Amino acid sequence: MTLGTPLQGVTLYSFTRAFHGREYDLEALIRKVAAEGYGPGLEVIGFSSLRGFPDVDDAFAGRFRDLVAEVDLVPTSLAVNADIGIRRDRLMSQEELIAYMRRQIEAAAKLGFPVARVQISLTPDSMEQLAPIAEEHEVTLALEVHADQYASHPRILALRDRYETVGSPFLGFTMDWGATVSGFAPSLLEAYRRRGASDELRAAVVALWDDFYEQGPPADQAEHGQRFGRFIALAAQHGRPDLGIDFAINGTGLFGPARVDDWREILPWVRHVHGKFFGIDETGEEPSVPVRDLVALLVENGYSGAISSEYEGWHWNHWQSPFEIIAGEQAVQRSAAAAAGSRMITDAAEARQVLAAHHASARA
Amino acid sequence: MIPDRIIEQGTLSTDGSRASVDVRIPWYRALPASCIAGARLTIDGVAAEADTLRWEMNGEVRTFAEMVDDTEQWWFPLDSAVLSGEVPVTAGADCEVRVDLTLYIPYIVIGANEVLHIEEHDTKTMKAVAA
Repeated sequence: MTLGTPLQGVTLYSFTRAFHGREYDLEALIRKVAAEGYGPGLEVIGFSSLRGFPDVDDAFAGRFRDLVAEVDLVPTSLAVNADIGIRRDRLMSQEELIAYMRRQIEAAAKLGFPVARVQISLTPDSMEQLAPIAEEHEVTLALEVHADQYASHPRILALRDRYETVGSPFLGFTMDWGATVSGFAPSLLEAYRRRGASDELRAAVVALWDDFYEQGPPADQAEHGQRFGRFIALAAQHGRPDLGIDFAINGTGLFGPARVDDWREILPWVRHVHGKFFGIDETGEEPSVPVRDLVALLVENGYSGAISSEYEGWHWNHWQSPFEIIAGEQAVQRSAAAAAGSRMITDAAEARQVLAAHHASARA
Repeated sequence: MIPDRIIEQGTLSTDGSRASVDVRIPWYRALPASCIAGARLTIDGVAAEADTLRWEMNGEVRTFAEMVDDTEQWWFPLDSAVLSGEVPVTAGADCEVRVDLTLYIPYIVIGANEVLHIEEHDTKTMKAVAA
């Protein structure tokens, strides 16, 4: 197989605190991404960055496209959401859900994104119903495989099997590296230390997570729930019940304990990647996400789509700038691609060409 | 997620009987009014009675009950809402302000007919200014 050449890029989600803190508005953030070389790939979350989303008027769409062209970035993915619980009295009907997603797919097309990232709340039936809408607008629906799920999770395999049956080139997956984490993030342990968690408690959290890593990812939602409860119980046993939910959410929902090879179950359907990570250590490496192995897997399997660096350490790391940390992770990605005998694409013109070919290859 | 930003520093104001404070969404993306389930406003340990609480967003002042069916108005991540309620505050005094928020996260389904709800809070000390 020809080695892949993934596109370097970033999701603006990585800069959530800077945007939310009004340090940069959308235009300033996009300009910074371009000027400091975090692209060329650009991923945006509709409901985060775009006021009034999913309504996108022609004037805004024009300004957005002009800005992206001016700064020479390449739109890779618009992250959209299935807000099934938007009403308080009941969940959306299937008809309402399809209409809700149609507006967001249309927005992705209007803004020039070839992919709409969707999430696990969409069932195989919903994906099948959305396929003709995706085809009409030429937007690939890439369902995100995110902890606490993983590639070989029954829900993901059911989606993959349905994709095979439906046969639409516009259905695929977004690989989120948080499903295949190899250790509890040290920067989060530092945050717990700053919140007064004892050495003993922090060691116990790591030991519990390591134990789950040895066991592998949870077989189903029931086992996931049990693990969630174990983290809460651990905090209570150590006299810090206030930290229990935090341990549980991060320990099960951000740090998924599947192995890198698990991705092979769905690799041909991976259309987009979230290069999820949590920090860069003093040696310049990501200590808890096997970034090098993940990039090597993609390159060796011919993946030439986008990797959006998705920094999630911002939840707890308020003492370091996200910008330098993201630059650090992208350096690891480039180094890993080179070590695998290939390279990351960082030139915008080449990126446009390679990304178009990546999506066209699914339709060949 | 971003609970440390809920209360905007320096925004406590009072007319003597009612107090208000600017609040920011502690989540990374916009949520509709229907998903803003409730709040509490506590100043120096005294909580405003629930039926006196009002939520101002996008130019409209409402109770939480009045927002239950509203999926049209959104709380955008860059915007401040204003939480107010009947609680006595002396203008010029340093006050400890606490805001508790309950939000529904409409895309995270956790049960057959249920989505995730989160409860976040923030506490900050600031001087009250006369409204």
